[in-house]
Amino acid sequence: MKIRWNRIAVYAGAVLLTVFIAAPLVWIFLSSILPEEAILTFPPNWFQYGFTLDNYHYIFTGEIPKSHLVTGQLRTMISQEVRLVPRTIVNSTLIAISVMIINWITGSLAAYSYASLHFRARTATFFFITLSRLIPAIALAVPYYTIVQQMGLLNTYWALIAIYSVLTLPFTILILTLYFRSIPREILEAAQLDGCGPFQTLLRVTVPLALPSLIGTGLFAFMISYSEFLFALLITPAREARTLPVILASVSWNPDVTWGLLSSSIAIGLIPTILLVVPVWRFMVKGLVAGGVR
Amino acid sequence: MVYDRAAWRGHGGQSFRHRIELSPYLMVVPALLLVAVFTLYPYGYAIWSSFQVLSPILPPSFAGLKNYQAVISSSYFFNALGNTLVFTGISVPIIVALGVLVATLLNQRFFGDVVLKAAVLLPWAIPAAITGVIWKGVFSDSWGALNAVLYMLGLIPEYINWLTTRHLATAAVIMAHIWMQFPMATIFALAAMQAISEELYEAAAIDGAGAFQRFFFITLPNIKVMVIVVTLFEVLMSLNTFDLTYGLTGGGPGTSTMFISYFIWAEFFKMLSYGKGAALAVILAMVALAIIFAILRLIPGEALLGGKEE
Repeated sequence: MKIRWNRIAVYAGAVLLTVFIAAPLVWIFLSSILPEEAILTFPPNWFQYGFTLDNYHYIFTGEIPKSHLVTGQLRTMISQEVRLVPRTIVNSTLIAISVMIINWITGSLAAYSYASLHFRARTATFFFITLSRLIPAIALAVPYYTIVQQMGLLNTYWALIAIYSVLTLPFTILILTLYFRSIPREILEAAQLDGCGPFQTLLRVTVPLALPSLIGTGLFAFMISYSEFLFALLITPAREARTLPVILASVSWNPDVTWGLLSSSIAIGLIPTILLVVPVWRFMVKGLVAGGVR
Repeated sequence: MVYDRAAWRGHGGQSFRHRIELSPYLMVVPALLLVAVFTLYPYGYAIWSSFQVLSPILPPSFAGLKNYQAVISSSYFFNALGNTLVFTGISVPIIVALGVLVATLLNQRFFGDVVLKAAVLLPWAIPAAITGVIWKGVFSDSWGALNAVLYMLGLIPEYINWLTTRHLATAAVIMAHIWMQFPMATIFALAAMQAISEELYEAAAIDGAGAFQRFFFITLPNIKVMVIVVTLFEVLMSLNTFDLTYGLTGGGPGTSTMFISYFIWAEFFKMLSYGKGAALAVILAMVALAIIFAILRLIPGEALLGGKEE
């Protein structure tokens, strides 16, 4: 009897949780395929005008949605800015991939050292690196802006790649250190007896064994970089150099962009995120949750 | 050979310890240098500029504590601070409680649990600036989904102005923030729960403890430290809130959802008063540092780096 009630509570909780997570996203996808009048009608009736892919069509081809012509408004509520979305996805992805690679190289080197070697200032530098991330980003915004401006790197990806590497490395090093530590010492010692120095051991033994954690932290770094907004807003004022979150936030305040058009661009922008969620879970969170932290 | 056995963790060799080891340093330096250059120098710069009168056109001049005085005596500062405190005070406890609750749920085995575990990450994975816009779609006064759904269900006679009414706008931001942040709290809590020994639960079950008793007498005491860490972490995250309000309310209506991070940003880039902005940033960083040290005291260093003596 008692157990049955528990099961019911568990499934009720699961349903509630699913609704809570999904509802706002479902509305994004739904409103992206609804014609404009269906969204704006009062009293609300979403489904009386059918569905349309015009918004997506416009973003990729520049063909103006029918509803904008049909309603005969004086100015078409539409903006070229939205058409930058696919391009900014590419921008953001390139930046994020670079950050991921920097994280892999510098992160695994440092984590190997922290996990299996002894040296002076080991604890101090470890905490310095891992805790540096927790300082509010806004406190660093203007100094970063000034530095980047003085170096003449405004509107370049180099500045963003460097900044995002700094933002993501602390977490990468923390997780990789925890993971590298779990590799049995005997294996490392065997490699060392075979004449491998630390660099060779890292490359030939640790990296292959810790591959899941490398994939996980890499994806994590990718995601943080792909999502970052504040620094991207500051450092890439030129429209062509902007990243996805910046262009979407900007479009969202553009009075010429309808909600349908905005929600379609959000839907497109979310595709990489949705594709990455499962691997991030599989390669990183699962390991974390399975007892990496005590 | 630059490296030797003494460098290996716990490999005895005490007598070799005094030999200078280069490889550990070589391996740490790239990451350390990158982090150091991008934290120490900007910090030095922020502290320096907080004592200067700075503007885009005039040369800097020393201002002493004037920037700090101007900031602290400004009513906008207290408005932003008050908003941030209300926002933090309401959202953080809910996030932590929801995180523990959801973790308890996901710690059970049920049909589709793996899918749900991955799906929980979704709100966290979506860029915060976009999350703000997504929730604007929910709360918007004229075409928001919430108004439409409530109206269709016959719960409200006319649309509610969620985003243009002072307290309702704050509630909307809190709601979106909870949605975005509870996954992190869930993951932390779940990680702590997985570390609790099964035997404890089995023993409790034999003693006749029900689900609630097991939760309160076994789960909660065992995840206590993690809960405190998550709470402090979430306080930091709420101090950081900028992207979300940028997309959702733009700090409005008026300044009612203007939080401290947004206020600093506005001071810098709308008012162009760099000195005052820097003073604010330094104050915020001090508060954050205090919280970071609190976290540090709660996590024993050995837990992360491993014992030095084995």
